[in-house]
Amino acid sequence: MIPVEPESDLTRKQRREQAREERKAIEEASAAQSAQRKRLIQLGGVAAVVVVIIAIILVATGSGGSKKAPAPSSPAAKTAATEVISLLQGIPQSGITLGNPNAPITLQYFGDLECPFCKQFTLSALPTIIKKYVRTGKVKIEYRSMQTATRERETFQEQQVAALAAGKQNLMWHYVELFYHEQGEEDSGYVTESYLQGLAAQIPGLNLSDWSAARNDPSYPNQVIADAQAANQNGFTGTPSFMIGKTGGGLQKLEVSGFTDASQFETAIEKLLKA
Amino acid sequence: MSRRTVHIVMIVLAVIGLGVASYLTYVHFAGIKPACTAGESCTKVQTSVYSKLVGVPVALMGLIGYIAILGSLLAPETETSRFATLIFTLAGFGFSAYLTYRELFSIHAICEWCASSAGIMTILMLLSVWRFLRGDGSLDAPRVETGEGPLSAQVSAN
Repeated sequence: MIPVEPESDLTRKQRREQAREERKAIEEASAAQSAQRKRLIQLGGVAAVVVVIIAIILVATGSGGSKKAPAPSSPAAKTAATEVISLLQGIPQSGITLGNPNAPITLQYFGDLECPFCKQFTLSALPTIIKKYVRTGKVKIEYRSMQTATRERETFQEQQVAALAAGKQNLMWHYVELFYHEQGEEDSGYVTESYLQGLAAQIPGLNLSDWSAARNDPSYPNQVIADAQAANQNGFTGTPSFMIGKTGGGLQKLEVSGFTDASQFETAIEKLLKA
Repeated sequence: MSRRTVHIVMIVLAVIGLGVASYLTYVHFAGIKPACTAGESCTKVQTSVYSKLVGVPVALMGLIGYIAILGSLLAPETETSRFATLIFTLAGFGFSAYLTYRELFSIHAICEWCASSAGIMTILMLLSVWRFLRGDGSLDAPRVETGEGPLSAQVSAN
């Protein structure tokens, strides 16, 4: 016969079991609550740290760390002027053209003086092309304009006309090169009358009163319009853009994947020279 | 959505973000124009003064951030790894918010690559907060007591 446990014993055991379950449930709920509280504190802590760091970055870069154009008398401007003068020394210029007028190859460079990619090209790949092909009389480069980075149409025309006016004294390339070398931050409003005059003042041999008078020449705004039309006809969507070909013949669009490396330009020039 | 699904979605998003950041880093160092449907906007953003922070390209920072997020997602899932994902995505979200502010109010141009990265980072941050607060789920539901554990042995001994 199976011994039957007394009812009072069973109840005690069941009570113990029940109490144990309850205690366990309470412990688990408390642990869950505690873990959740800990996670919320951690989340709040991380969020607070992130907010503080971002606030510091915002304050530190508040002015944009804005890169203004250097003053004409500043050491940066003097270094730029020395580089430009040395690069262009002894190379013939005529209006928008740099190089021997009878050079067998013509390269057209469409740029916006405020365009940072044009600056990149002008400071990295262009000097190689000038030293290797323009200085040796094989290539001539025409600088033409296309508005991309400059926000205001009036500013674009004003700065381009200032460059073209220097071309009247066959010093446009000095002006263009100096503009790119001393280019300020986009949309920072650095292109002011004093900036344009400051660039002119850095060009040795430029007669400033003649340059000022030439800026009112009505043919220059028309030149800017003609450049825009040409850029449109060529199907350009950005700057810098290029056309290349035999001088006197038809020019072809030159597509390049990067502006810092002169090798793609060299390949195109060598191909035309051999043709 | 199950925890597993969320985890997979986060990995996929981190991989896409990694791709976007890699492309922008490549564009930055190669000196080429980013493919952009909004004209010169991407170029404007990529070449602005805000494209670098203390001399480091922000695209590279994004790349490192996505690698960290992906690493924390691929690590064995623990409270620590979930916390690490939370830290990285919150930092990424904060930085994306800062960059978007700069695009809108300082550069006045929106780069679609940057905007897509900011969107990805926002979703990643929300999912990582959800995942972190949810924990491993072990404390959500009561355990099935088998009566063989040390606690039950202790209780039975009483």
